[in-house]
Amino acid sequence: MTISGKTAIAGLGVTAFGKLPGRSAWSLQTEAVAKAIADAGLEKGDVDGLLTAPPLSEPLLLHAEQLGGKLGLKTNYLSQKFIGGATAVALIAEAAMAVEAGLCEVAVCVYGENAKTGMPMLFGRAQMGRGQGPSDDIAYGLAGGPIMEARAAKRYMNEYGVTEEMLGAVAVSFREHASRNPAATYRDSLTIEQYLSNRYVSEPLRVLDCTIGASDGAVALIVTSAERARDLAKPPAVIAGFGVAANLQGLSDPDHYTSYPGARSAQTAYRIAGLEPEDVDVAQFYDCFTSTVLITIEDYGFCKRGEAGPFAAEGNLKLGGALPSNTSGGMLSEANLVGWNVLAEGVRQIRGESTSQVDDAEVGIVAGQGGFHAAHSTLLLTKDGR
Amino acid sequence: MPHTLTELVAGAVPIVVEETRGYWEGTLAKELRVQTCNACDNRQMPWGPCCTRCLSQDLGYVKASGRGRVFSFTVVRQAIHPTFSAQVPYVIADIELEEGPIMTSNVTDVPVEEVRIGLPVAVWFDIEQEDAFHIKLRLPKFRPIKG
Repeated sequence: MTISGKTAIAGLGVTAFGKLPGRSAWSLQTEAVAKAIADAGLEKGDVDGLLTAPPLSEPLLLHAEQLGGKLGLKTNYLSQKFIGGATAVALIAEAAMAVEAGLCEVAVCVYGENAKTGMPMLFGRAQMGRGQGPSDDIAYGLAGGPIMEARAAKRYMNEYGVTEEMLGAVAVSFREHASRNPAATYRDSLTIEQYLSNRYVSEPLRVLDCTIGASDGAVALIVTSAERARDLAKPPAVIAGFGVAANLQGLSDPDHYTSYPGARSAQTAYRIAGLEPEDVDVAQFYDCFTSTVLITIEDYGFCKRGEAGPFAAEGNLKLGGALPSNTSGGMLSEANLVGWNVLAEGVRQIRGESTSQVDDAEVGIVAGQGGFHAAHSTLLLTKDGR
Repeated sequence: MPHTLTELVAGAVPIVVEETRGYWEGTLAKELRVQTCNACDNRQMPWGPCCTRCLSQDLGYVKASGRGRVFSFTVVRQAIHPTFSAQVPYVIADIELEEGPIMTSNVTDVPVEEVRIGLPVAVWFDIEQEDAFHIKLRLPKFRPIKG
């Protein structure tokens, strides 16, 4: 018995992304839920499971209860999860398990934020300094994602001779995809020369190596049985496998600079799905930083250690390359919905709905990463009947 | 006493908590203390409530030599926390101590361009500060070993 192929993503609801004045996080979350239900061809009364990630700008302890109340739901399953950027994919995995176990039949997973124009990410930013362990890193001027990631990137680049041009190739490739996506925040073309003249935030990372700071927007997805999904409005994105792994020792662990727990979450996902890296047609990496993408490419088995940089520089992450990746522009250029926009694009590719559609995309992989690369989640989606 | 959560989290001085009290007391004596496990001899940084290898709470410390090497680092060019805006560029580094564990600190007294992975460094202790609850401490920082 395996869970592979038993469940599917049957509905997708996405709001506008970017700067949305006058919109509360609640209004964005409920809009995404309504759109996902309609997209699947379902009615509100069909929904009997709710799984939420609280907004970073306002991390409410009872977010799922409150949102469920605003939606007027009665559910057979309820959950709220927050493991940083690994949450989106991990919630889909949880929904699949809940549906397969018979806890509920139609689960909606949702995240929405108005961090750009509403409540600034004060709480989130304050937490970036605290909460990194009792060493109180903020006393040393260590606050925020770029400084955390930069030290891993530095060590990784030093170990394998990865150049800044190779990091830049990731940003340039994803921007090319964003330029075709009307929903993307940054759509202007980007050259490697422009990248190299961009200023550093925390060496070796430049502004263009880092995700968009904050975006307003929401994403909701419907998870149900693959059998039921086949009768609904949209082609199912079948959930073939998933994994959620973590390394909670942070940068105290010397191995944690050049490989992330994605190496293990991907192994789990491939094993459940009975798939290999060679089977994957399209990837949506958790691109909080360009260096994260390169390390994840290796963790996922698409390249040997140290080879992801040259692989990216050869143009392989672009549409038409060997591994088209982050085809909506990702978090570097489309929006920072903490991995949820990346997940949405993973579904679009399997449906054939992307603005940078990969021909005959039958197997897609989606990554989530959170807590400064402490947690990593992996999802394999396949076209029905593959 | 800090009055609000924001005040508490926004301050750039560490907050001494029960499990790090011995560590910070050491800094006043200009000692860098590595936490040790009396049950399994594990050595760990930063200090925690239990041994991360065997979960024993029977913990002690050894006085470190204070010497180590830069394991990795970053030159911060844009301060994300306003407290540090006037200090950019500055170096945040992970120091591999002679005793084994890696700890995070600053590397000072050297042009940022000259910091590299493998650079031998030694600890020094910054000025005495008080945390939000008036407990005194000194921040251990590192600088290159001359010669």
